[in-house]
Amino acid sequence: MIACVAVVGHQNNPLYLQSFTGADDALKLHHIVHCSLDVIDERVNNPKRSVITLNESYLGLLYPTESYKVYGYLSNTKVKFLVVTTDLDVKDTDIRSFFRRFHAAYVDAVSNPFHVPGKKIISRIFAARVSGIVKAFAPGTYG
Amino acid sequence: MGREVAESCFDGLIIEMVSAYGRRFYATKPDLASRRIEAIGFQVGHQLIERYTVERPRFSDHLEAIKFICKEFWSELFKKQIDNLKTNHRVGTFVLQDNKFRWFTRVLIDPSSEDNEASQGSSSEATSMLLHFPCGIIRGALSNVGISCAVSADASNLPSCESGILVFALKFSI
Repeated sequence: MIACVAVVGHQNNPLYLQSFTGADDALKLHHIVHCSLDVIDERVNNPKRSVITLNESYLGLLYPTESYKVYGYLSNTKVKFLVVTTDLDVKDTDIRSFFRRFHAAYVDAVSNPFHVPGKKIISRIFAARVSGIVKAFAPGTYG
Repeated sequence: MGREVAESCFDGLIIEMVSAYGRRFYATKPDLASRRIEAIGFQVGHQLIERYTVERPRFSDHLEAIKFICKEFWSELFKKQIDNLKTNHRVGTFVLQDNKFRWFTRVLIDPSSEDNEASQGSSSEATSMLLHFPCGIIRGALSNVGISCAVSADASNLPSCESGILVFALKFSI
């Protein structure tokens, strides 16, 4: 189950953070997302140590804690997309397609002429689309 | 899913926008008008590059980003690529040359009017105002991929705008 999704701008400013757990743990999720940003910076700036190729957008599993896993995706414009999930067994392909749809929704939201670049995304349509993508996310077959 | 619009509407919109800023809003302050037009272009370029770099791997250096602008970005906007790219690495300048700039083919320049000098002056003024828009687009697109630069344009071979050669010079602040 996806706990939360986040979009962070290129100066590490939060553009969108939405939690889907229903509980009031926004602060804890903020904290997890913040820690993952450091991992992204490290991966991008030290390509020799990591296995990921320098130019790929999908960054893979960033930060496994005891109950959460965080996946990252970096766009060409240095915008970071993060997904925190509680599922233990998630397929790579599912997460990749999730990020693709997430990125497409983000591009549509940012193309809005009333959106100020660098400020938070306040479009309700974007929020609805992201909720739709999260609901449709099913981690393959179980067992 | 996307709906389409006739290109003539788009051309009319751009020409009207430039003339509105140049002749009505800031008629007495052409510098301010040109900066506003460039700022509009900046936002457009900023948003467009977000859309056009979606599935692509990240750029490893400036040259790759400029090549992307010359090829894919330019073909999305103008249905053709930049014809010539020159660079001067030491100074940090890139020169992009487009031999048949699409927007010029619609700008009306009347070379046969009586008051020849005045009309020449005003027509080159009109096109230089128009040029700030694509300069802004390039600058906005590059700034979103993390490259800051100054863009200027130079159009030679006007009044025969059909064959107008448009040269963009990009200067990087490295």
